[in-house]
Amino acid sequence: MSRYVLTRIASTALVLVGVSVLTFFIAHVVPADPVLAALGQHAREDQIQAYRHAYGLDQPVLVQYVQYMRRLAGGDLGLSIRTRRPVAYDLAEFLPATVELGSTAWLIALALGIPAGILSAIYKDRLADHLVRIAALAGAAMPVFWLGLLLLGSLYYRLHWLPGPGRLDLSIVPPPPRTGVLLIDSLLAADGPAFANALRHLVLPGLTLGLFSTAVIARMTRSAMLEVLNQEYIRTARAKGLTRLRVIMHHALRNAMIPTLTVIGISFGNLLSGAVLTETVFAWPGLGRYATASAVSLDFPAVMGVTLVVAVFYTLANLVVDLLYARVDPRIRYE
Amino acid sequence: MSEPSVAPVRPRPLRWRTFGRNPLVVLGTAIVLVFAVAALAAPLLAIRSPLAQLLDERLTPPGAGSPLGLDQLGRDIFSRLLFGARISLLVGLVVVALAGVVGTLVGVIAGFAGGWADHVLMRITDVFFAFPSLILAMAIAAALGPSLTHAMVAIAAVTWPVYARLSRAQTLVLNRLEFLDAARAMGAPDLRIVLRHILPNALAPLVVQASFNMGEAILIAAGLSFIGFGAQPPTPEWGVMVSEGRDYITTQWWVPTFPGLAILLAVTGFNLLGDGIRDVLDPRLRRPV
Amino acid sequence: MRIRFVLAMVVIGTLLGPQMSSRAATAADTLVYVNDISDMISLDPAVAYEFSGILAATNIYDTLVAFEGEDLTTLKPRLAQSWFIRDNGSRWAVTLKLRPGVKFSTGRPVTAKAVAFSFDRVIALNKSPAFLFKEVAGMNEGDTIPVGTDTVVVSLPKTASPQAFLSVLTFTVAAIVDPDEVMAHQVGTDRGEAWLRNHSAGTGPYTLDRWDPESRVVLVANPNYWGPKPNLPRVIISHVPESSTQKFLLESGDADIAADLSPEQARDLATKPNVAVQKGKLLQLVYIGMNAKLPPLDNPKVREAIRASIDYDGIIRNLLRGEARKVQTIVPEGLFGFNPSAPFQQDIAQAKRLLQEAGKGEGFSIELLVPTGPAPGGVKWADLGAKVQSDLAQVGIKVEIKETAQAQLLNVYRAQKGQMVMILWGPDFPDPDGNATPFADYDAKSLAWRNQYSDADAAKLAKQAALEPDLMKRQALYRQLTEKVLHEGPYVILYQPLKRFGLRANVSGFVWNPMAFAEFRTVSK
Repeated sequence: MSRYVLTRIASTALVLVGVSVLTFFIAHVVPADPVLAALGQHAREDQIQAYRHAYGLDQPVLVQYVQYMRRLAGGDLGLSIRTRRPVAYDLAEFLPATVELGSTAWLIALALGIPAGILSAIYKDRLADHLVRIAALAGAAMPVFWLGLLLLGSLYYRLHWLPGPGRLDLSIVPPPPRTGVLLIDSLLAADGPAFANALRHLVLPGLTLGLFSTAVIARMTRSAMLEVLNQEYIRTARAKGLTRLRVIMHHALRNAMIPTLTVIGISFGNLLSGAVLTETVFAWPGLGRYATASAVSLDFPAVMGVTLVVAVFYTLANLVVDLLYARVDPRIRYE
Repeated sequence: MSEPSVAPVRPRPLRWRTFGRNPLVVLGTAIVLVFAVAALAAPLLAIRSPLAQLLDERLTPPGAGSPLGLDQLGRDIFSRLLFGARISLLVGLVVVALAGVVGTLVGVIAGFAGGWADHVLMRITDVFFAFPSLILAMAIAAALGPSLTHAMVAIAAVTWPVYARLSRAQTLVLNRLEFLDAARAMGAPDLRIVLRHILPNALAPLVVQASFNMGEAILIAAGLSFIGFGAQPPTPEWGVMVSEGRDYITTQWWVPTFPGLAILLAVTGFNLLGDGIRDVLDPRLRRPV
Repeated sequence: MRIRFVLAMVVIGTLLGPQMSSRAATAADTLVYVNDISDMISLDPAVAYEFSGILAATNIYDTLVAFEGEDLTTLKPRLAQSWFIRDNGSRWAVTLKLRPGVKFSTGRPVTAKAVAFSFDRVIALNKSPAFLFKEVAGMNEGDTIPVGTDTVVVSLPKTASPQAFLSVLTFTVAAIVDPDEVMAHQVGTDRGEAWLRNHSAGTGPYTLDRWDPESRVVLVANPNYWGPKPNLPRVIISHVPESSTQKFLLESGDADIAADLSPEQARDLATKPNVAVQKGKLLQLVYIGMNAKLPPLDNPKVREAIRASIDYDGIIRNLLRGEARKVQTIVPEGLFGFNPSAPFQQDIAQAKRLLQEAGKGEGFSIELLVPTGPAPGGVKWADLGAKVQSDLAQVGIKVEIKETAQAQLLNVYRAQKGQMVMILWGPDFPDPDGNATPFADYDAKSLAWRNQYSDADAAKLAKQAALEPDLMKRQALYRQLTEKVLHEGPYVILYQPLKRFGLRANVSGFVWNPMAFAEFRTVSK
């Protein structure tokens, strides 16, 4: 392993410690008392004391941090005040829906963004280019929650083309939960109708969530392609009589993909942010909704849990992308 | 002037003509200007107070008396959008000011001081980069308690690291240049070197970032307001208006549609303006994604 | 290439083709009930204290006695076939005789021991609804004594009202669970709480098949049910948070009952074929609490001026489309002791005069806390707040609205730090005392305390009325109390909401209990 890889991993570890401190800090500047919030307006004093004690909230902050870190090391994210279950259980329950939606959106972003970027670069300043650039502009400035509402309003409520909120039609009996990812579970259960229905339910939220990343990826692919297409060796290849398509697919694309890789890492973060809003609009039982619902009820163990887990995922994804990037582009060195 | 005058680094001609030539950039500037005018002249242009209710005429479709229709309390949507422009522009400006000052300060200090301080500051920046922006902003806004002010603080807290990285990189480049050595040799204090020499020369990418940051701030603020952690009803904030109008998407489409369109246009405007400024200041700067 | 093309067309066809499955009816043996179940945290009757959790638990478990349908005054036998109250001198003794031959869904018989176990379990776990036993009934562990296998005697202190205790017994907190089944799944000392969260061990008409949080609850008929078999053997309570989606699913035939329709949506549905709208009563009151120690709200004239400035009729006519009752006293319609007196309607001149007399003729600024989301009755809290803001502006009172998540709002309210707080109250048990004491007795540390309204006379009246056995006298006491609080109290009561359900035309037998649940066993289609 090279020095670069080691330094990169070490700094990631350091960042993760910082992430835990920051999430803990945020949860402890809450002006409102989460215990009173959790118990609702009918609670009596002894219940409040019992909760405070059960959740360790009667300890000094520093002690709470040490306890928190000790529990974290054991994979324990604490108890949710709202659902009264271990946060880790809740996350495991809601993660698959987000993974399913996020992957769909990510695939949509790749499948639309990369070809759009390539087309746009090849036909620079022609109609196709203008269309792609305008679409990308709109995509980057689109409020996702509004897009989701419009898609629901038109394609679901008005035209009945695609199913609306939720992961399955009400009439579909969900397949036995094995992975929690409905597409996989329905395949394992050999349940064709459930699979088709789950797939159709993914279309609107997938498009909604994927649009921003599509726009960013299209933009990046376009500029990377333009840069590569202007380089000497491409012109040479063309001069050697290779067909345009061949040159683009075999020579230009490979090199243009290098900068696009980083963007794909970053788009992972966009997807997680967008999931909060998309899941709210589409009543999608995933991490985003769990995070919002928890934040609304001041359930800070849960908010900390989601934030932490999401940050860890995101940081690791970026680490992987950076390491890949270093592999494909030997010029990269740390600092 | 007590100091020796020093030649600025790589003087560049500003390419104002590029700015005017790109139709998209012109469009962006126009949009931003329209919104600025709408915000400043909102009280003059508005048909009614953004809070005035005509309960008996609630949910009137767009028409003669109300170009964009009335909402669920009979408030004029057009007037609310105008006042909403004020809020969105305010959010953008406050966030850019907060995040810009904090981020630039951190970046310049890190780049100028180097060593230990640089390491600590940059690792802190990395920590903030480790969160998807909306999720961190939501956690902060929820912890502080939902309000527009807290949303602005939260958005600044998730966007300052970009300024820090940019200004640090610029500082590192400038710090190596000879004219600073000359200034140091003349006994200029560090603060003066930073203020007189580094900052002005590091400004270009920061201004570009500020323009993109405006759009980003408006978008995040609308998102936060939509899920209840930003501006509070009955404030005519655009995200709040979309959220309040959700239930009417099937029956009275105009209620949630126009505010969303306003967000889309405003953010597009600032993004295009950012593109334009970048081309003018330095075509080689790559847009931060 | 051609195969790829065909494949692509098939994929696009599945994705974009018209919805095949919709426009169809739900399965003939299944009731699909759509509502918002995001508040569901446990189906354990000792823990559930949320609307959706209670709705599901009601259909899984039986209580000893029950109120049936909309009638909240006549106690009906359920697992107990008879009961009587005796004065033991120092304590009350409530004796209940169990119905013979009832079995749990597990096949085990229901015994007096199971009743004692269930009641003691609630007190030991001490979760949200436990105060009904501990505070309202003054019970401790061991106060429920099995006598033989078919009789229990509950011993209550003299400070508690045995009538209120019987009302509490109708609520899911007093449901009977199978002790052997529950203890077989005990983890640590949790008395099966973790397991019972999403499993069932009751005697009700249904058992829990599965609960997918934020998605659905599936109930199936209990094969060992002691009563008549439910008409529909499967019930799916489906999570559909948006009321516009609920309406859409009902119209397309994907749902049988939609639970949360707004007045507009109900009005629109009324014109459609194959669907019907049914109204349900609620005992909730939507009100504004005014902090009685905070100037200028400490002046009763200012509070009266505020009550006189609000356009109650406009709220009911326009925002709620006429679908709410104008109630202004602290006991809602449907409970014993209801007082229909509603003297307030917007009277700007009167309000201004009152403010003048209070020395506040030039008006003042005040903060109004409003929860997020929909208020009961189908209007948004924020919209109600905006309406009140514009009404009060007419008399020079400048209201600053702060929309706050309910959790946060309650924090402020409970800490007596609210200025004006808009919120709802529903009684915890169907007895006027469920409202009178919280609204009138400062020492109960409930609503009166939160609004710093301390009036010894009001508190005394509430206590007296709660324990008064003579119904005529009790009626008179509540009349006196409600009149007093109407003008002196710190409350502006805006309305008593109604709930609207959309039903497929072939659905019948659906009855909504004003305590906010329904028994599905009577529904057929």
